[in-house]
Amino acid sequence: MRRFLIYLIPIVAMLIFLLIMISGDFLKKPFSTDDDIAESISDLIEAVNNEAWEEADNKIIGLELAWKKVLFRVQFSSERGEINELTTSIARLKGAIMAKDKPGALMELYEAYSHWNDLGS
Amino acid sequence: MNEGLVVVVRAIISFFSLLILTKILGKEQISQLTFFDYILGITIGSIASEATVDLSSRIWPHFVGLLSWAILAYLMQYITLKWRYLAKVIEGEPVIVIMNGKIMDNVLKKMKFRVSDILELLRNQGVFDPNEVDYAILEANGSLSVLKKSEYLPLTPKDMNIEVKPTGISTELVYDGKLIIENLTQMNKDEKWLMNQLKKYGIKDVSEVFLVTLNDAGSLYVDKYDDNIKKIKDIGDYKGPY
Repeated sequence: MRRFLIYLIPIVAMLIFLLIMISGDFLKKPFSTDDDIAESISDLIEAVNNEAWEEADNKIIGLELAWKKVLFRVQFSSERGEINELTTSIARLKGAIMAKDKPGALMELYEAYSHWNDLGS
Repeated sequence: MNEGLVVVVRAIISFFSLLILTKILGKEQISQLTFFDYILGITIGSIASEATVDLSSRIWPHFVGLLSWAILAYLMQYITLKWRYLAKVIEGEPVIVIMNGKIMDNVLKKMKFRVSDILELLRNQGVFDPNEVDYAILEANGSLSVLKKSEYLPLTPKDMNIEVKPTGISTELVYDGKLIIENLTQMNKDEKWLMNQLKKYGIKDVSEVFLVTLNDAGSLYVDKYDDNIKKIKDIGDYKGPY
């Protein structure tokens, strides 16, 4: 039994480590309706394109909350650079929406989407 | 992002991955390592440390790097075990640096060793006069094996035709005040015998002793917790903080 455990424990440990390391893509996927980053970004693109600033204002809060939720899950398998860039993009986007700056908001939205795609992959 | 927490998780992954990989690679002792093994160890360790604290990239590529180096090292070990010629090329081979008491200066030049290095290695072996050396061999791991001239070899009981009992290896009977029954049975002794022996040292209970060992020749080593040494010798050459 002891001999079996000596082999089993390292194998199980390695499998757990592998799962943590490559879980980024899986953990990015939405687990509920309020943590779907990709959908939040595409909804925001639509709202900004239609210049529906009030709707965009509400959606950006949803995006911020969703990002906070997802960040906790993906932080172990993602690079700090992409995480920080996406956080900054969301902050800039908030400012652009507040200023009703359509080109600026669209630029930030597409940049945020690109960082989201690169995150953990 | 909680950087501290991420570093802790990454440290756990790197630490245990390194432990598992080094166990698979073997090489139990540092003294067995060749120069290449040494560099290999440093590189693998360096990758593991980067995997822990370099948060600018994911841990996965670091882990792949760690695994690749470990697999290559394992393959190299396997090839050198199977193919002796390649083992000689990669790991080097022992060379005679002193033969019949003469230093082989050409060999030293080839090995990029100075005479002072050889003298230092000789001193490490307890040889302070090169005159005493018959053969000295520089091993692949950089250590020096020395064969002294017959006249400088230590006298053994065999030289004196004295018969000696084999001492064998010592077996622990008591460790940290606790009796190890299995070892006592293995040495064909019982608790009563041990207590009789300990009484000779003024010991009434096993909890009074730190270590008791017995060798095959029947010689007992007893170390009590109470060492009864009034003045402890200080070997320090400068007054430190303790």
